[in-house]
Amino acid sequence: MAWYLIGAIFLAGVWGLIALPNLIKKVVALNIANSAIILFFIYFGSLSGDTAPIMGDGAGTPVDPLPQALMLTAIVVGVCVVALALGLVYRLYTRYGTLDIREIERKVWKRDE
Amino acid sequence: MGARAVEIAAVLAVAIFLVLALGGEHPTETPVRAYVVEHGEEQTGAANLVTSVYLGYRAFDTLGETIVLLLAVSGVVLFVEHRQ
Amino acid sequence: MRKTDILDVVSRKLAPFMFLFGLYLVSHGDLSPGGGFQGGVVIASGVILLAMAKGSAAAAALLPVRKLAVTEAVAFGLILAVGLAGVLMGAGFLADVLYDGTLLPIVRTPFVFILNLLIGLKVGAGASLICLHLFAQE
Repeated sequence: MAWYLIGAIFLAGVWGLIALPNLIKKVVALNIANSAIILFFIYFGSLSGDTAPIMGDGAGTPVDPLPQALMLTAIVVGVCVVALALGLVYRLYTRYGTLDIREIERKVWKRDE
Repeated sequence: MGARAVEIAAVLAVAIFLVLALGGEHPTETPVRAYVVEHGEEQTGAANLVTSVYLGYRAFDTLGETIVLLLAVSGVVLFVEHRQ
Repeated sequence: MRKTDILDVVSRKLAPFMFLFGLYLVSHGDLSPGGGFQGGVVIASGVILLAMAKGSAAAAALLPVRKLAVTEAVAFGLILAVGLAGVLMGAGFLADVLYDGTLLPIVRTPFVFILNLLIGLKVGAGASLICLHLFAQE
């Protein structure tokens, strides 16, 4: 059941990415999809044990440390992607004065003619 | 009207893929996990196995990640502080 | 926009403890939950709290943007230097040449501790830089 919940979160991110016209909302939707992927890996790793992957504190089988290390990387890269995307959105806003992707497209095509 | 149909079709395709992909079997035991849990602490000296993975076995990964962060900061400075 | 005194006082009193907690996470990264990335982001969140509560000019007065940029670049260079030290000792890039199976009393493993510290500095400076640059554009 949790797998389908994670899939629903990812689907919400994909839907926001392609259906919402506001650029800031697109960036947030991208971050939501990224969070769904992180949840997927962490949940997958947590199935293999029952304690945190820290040795020396006694009983229990530790969970798989590899997905957690990979998702550490993915979180930092996700922050970088969001920062760069917000920088690009800021440049578009200062140039075209709107955050609506349809208006920006219209202004770009009009300027080319 | 056509664009809306394309959007709905794309979301439906992703939904069908997710239902098919997430509904199957999910193996939990991997050889890498067994190796790291057994040898991780004695080979790298870090009790935290996540640290022993990202600074011991996968230090190159961490180096590349810091490069990504450096480039992201450079890109933000370029985009935001640019004056026409 | 009007700001209350509560926000002012709480942010000024809370930020040093956030820096301290970040340093704790960084320095104990090899034997408890935490590490360079997490501790660095906690340090950066202290800077962001100051920037949001006191204004980005006040945060930039405490931690100048130029010094943060130099800190990040120097930390990255030191990570590369630690990696190259492994090559010079004949063990390969980023290989642990200091650990031989014995755990030191305070710093258990110097290699992991140094790399955690450098990564914490770099991530803290980098995330603070991103947010200060974005906040500075009103």
